[in-house]
Amino acid sequence: MTDHRIILLCVIPLAAGLISIALINRKALSRLVGILSYTMMLGLSLSLLLKITSAADPSDSILVSQMGGWSAPFGISIVFDSLSGLLICAAAAVGLGAYIHSFSVLSPVTERRYYHPLMQFLMFGVNLSFLTGDLFNLFVAFEIMLMASYALLTIGGSKAQLSQAYKYILLNVLASTVFLMAAGMVYGMFGTLNIADLARIVAEIEADDSRSLPTGFKSLAVLFLLVFGLKGAFFPLWFWLPDTYYTVPISIAGLFGGLLTKVGVYTVARLFPLIFASDGTSTILPDGSMLGGTSDIIQVILIVAAAFTMFLAVLGAVSQHHVRRILSVHVISQVGYMVFGIAVMTGNALAGCAFYMIQHMVVKCALFLCCGVMEKHAGTDDLDKLGGLLKRDWFLGVLFFIAAMSLVGLPPLSGFFGKMVIIREGFFEGMWYLGVIGLVTGAITLLSMLKIWSYGYWNPDQAPTTNKPEQVKASCKPAYAAITLLVICALFLGLGAEAVYKVANRAGEQLENPEHYITAVLGDDAYAEVDRLLEERILAELAEPASAGGSEDATTAGEQLTLIESEKEATP
Amino acid sequence: MTMVLAICVAVTFAVSIYLMLGRELKGVAMGVFLLSHAANLSILAMSGSPVMTQAQQQAEDALASGSIEHAVDSPTMKDPPIMIGKYANEDPLAQMVDPLPQALILTAIVISFGVMAFLLTLIVVTNRKTDTIEVADLAEESRKA
Repeated sequence: MTDHRIILLCVIPLAAGLISIALINRKALSRLVGILSYTMMLGLSLSLLLKITSAADPSDSILVSQMGGWSAPFGISIVFDSLSGLLICAAAAVGLGAYIHSFSVLSPVTERRYYHPLMQFLMFGVNLSFLTGDLFNLFVAFEIMLMASYALLTIGGSKAQLSQAYKYILLNVLASTVFLMAAGMVYGMFGTLNIADLARIVAEIEADDSRSLPTGFKSLAVLFLLVFGLKGAFFPLWFWLPDTYYTVPISIAGLFGGLLTKVGVYTVARLFPLIFASDGTSTILPDGSMLGGTSDIIQVILIVAAAFTMFLAVLGAVSQHHVRRILSVHVISQVGYMVFGIAVMTGNALAGCAFYMIQHMVVKCALFLCCGVMEKHAGTDDLDKLGGLLKRDWFLGVLFFIAAMSLVGLPPLSGFFGKMVIIREGFFEGMWYLGVIGLVTGAITLLSMLKIWSYGYWNPDQAPTTNKPEQVKASCKPAYAAITLLVICALFLGLGAEAVYKVANRAGEQLENPEHYITAVLGDDAYAEVDRLLEERILAELAEPASAGGSEDATTAGEQLTLIESEKEATP
Repeated sequence: MTMVLAICVAVTFAVSIYLMLGRELKGVAMGVFLLSHAANLSILAMSGSPVMTQAQQQAEDALASGSIEHAVDSPTMKDPPIMIGKYANEDPLAQMVDPLPQALILTAIVISFGVMAFLLTLIVVTNRKTDTIEVADLAEESRKA
């Protein structure tokens, strides 16, 4: 379904960024423009999401806009489906929270150094990477996002920030270069960069018995996995993350922790079920074998990455003794659950992954923002020196506790519903080892969160600080507002999980069946060739045993075909 | 031709990685600059001869050995997009090289200029603040922080 409003999700932050460059010396006005932009994005994405959720037909529920009116494989398509919708909503909420929070922690000098435009350009890049339906455009979106993040990372320019920035920048430059080369190779192999068109070609080749995927297709997939794994901080490629998030101003750390890794995870969730680890149409042939089937080697890599990311990172988090570091290392551990969901690669697991991604964005950002206020109270984030925060500020304690328990996944709160679905799917699909690791990781997560709680809040010793609680509370009003906003979002995700899962399930369904995405972008008859090839192949399979073993059963090939088709529809 | 380009890409890549592993940030910056060149060259290689599907390759071989007389006329897996369809048989267009990779390279060059400018500025600022552009000294600095 065509809807040109979706491009507004990119235009709003871009325009707001440009306007706030002009308003750089007018603090109140630039803040107003920023808040307006985030609220507009949030409102627009929510209304679009509600619109596509109420659409009855799943292929009707993907909004597409072809840029400049060029039809699909030639121009750039912007696609808004349930997954990108959910993520954009969460990104806008997280952005709004971190932005408001920064009013009370950023120094006025830093704020004047183009902080406001950079926040908008970061959102522009993030939204574009969630929306784009074109591989090269995805590269451009990544670069926009990264450029803004480089600048935000070094904003203020303290010695610690400058010396840590190079690690992040160089690794990302390397990853971008590999991405660029891999995108070029995709073009060399298939002659298209449109994601839907690529998915169509791969599905056709898989459906056709006489053709096979080009040599090097798997290695291309591994290259992409390397790139997105580095952005998303998967198992062997996570080392840049804790150091980087440790040095930046806390509200920016909250935004990064919430948003940036999810963009990497999102691209894996988008590209791998659709193209690189394509499950194809997963038709069951009469002899019981699966057609297509998930690509083995890629799935193995994803499983290993998920297991190690979850478990090793949570051990790393427990061993840390600074609140910021614990939270940063936890970002990695939680990414493991999302990779788990992608590795299982069934519709339900992908739905769980989508849900987990949005809840983690909100909750993780809320925790970082709480950490910012804790630092304001105590002047440090060292757990040895913190203490008595609950007595000083019970409201902050309540907010932190809700967010921390959501992260752990205690039942009525949001983390539970994400983990439950992913782990259950893992057990169903025979990946019990991942499920067990997930459960153990959850327990250790609880331990590390209780560590912050008991040292920081319950510990009766007062932190050696000169700040009076009333002063801090008065100066941090925007911060409290921001944290409250995010915690309310987290509570909604937990208590209203059923409603959110309605959207997430549809996202999973769309990811699992490439057909919806392909027909939405390329037109209704784009998938006909795949269907024809599949039908041909099934008929050929049916004809073979019939000629070999005589007519032992009376059903004709045609009847069996309709039987299979109805089975296919019955098991979405 | 593809082989020459491939070797160029490999050498450029190797040199840039070597530079990036150096002890001074100037060298690192040069490495980043070369890295983007390597990527651009590899994309340029993609605009070369079209990649054929298996069936087309067989048909092509058959044509060469003389067992059939006319080439099979179907789009290759990597025909330039604007040449698929009604222009496929017209000669001048068929001799054109695929323009899209060059458009991609142009975009990538601009982006890498941006990154490069940022990186050089960052190095200058780092030098002003810490009086060093040695990687080892910076690591010392961050350990103190």
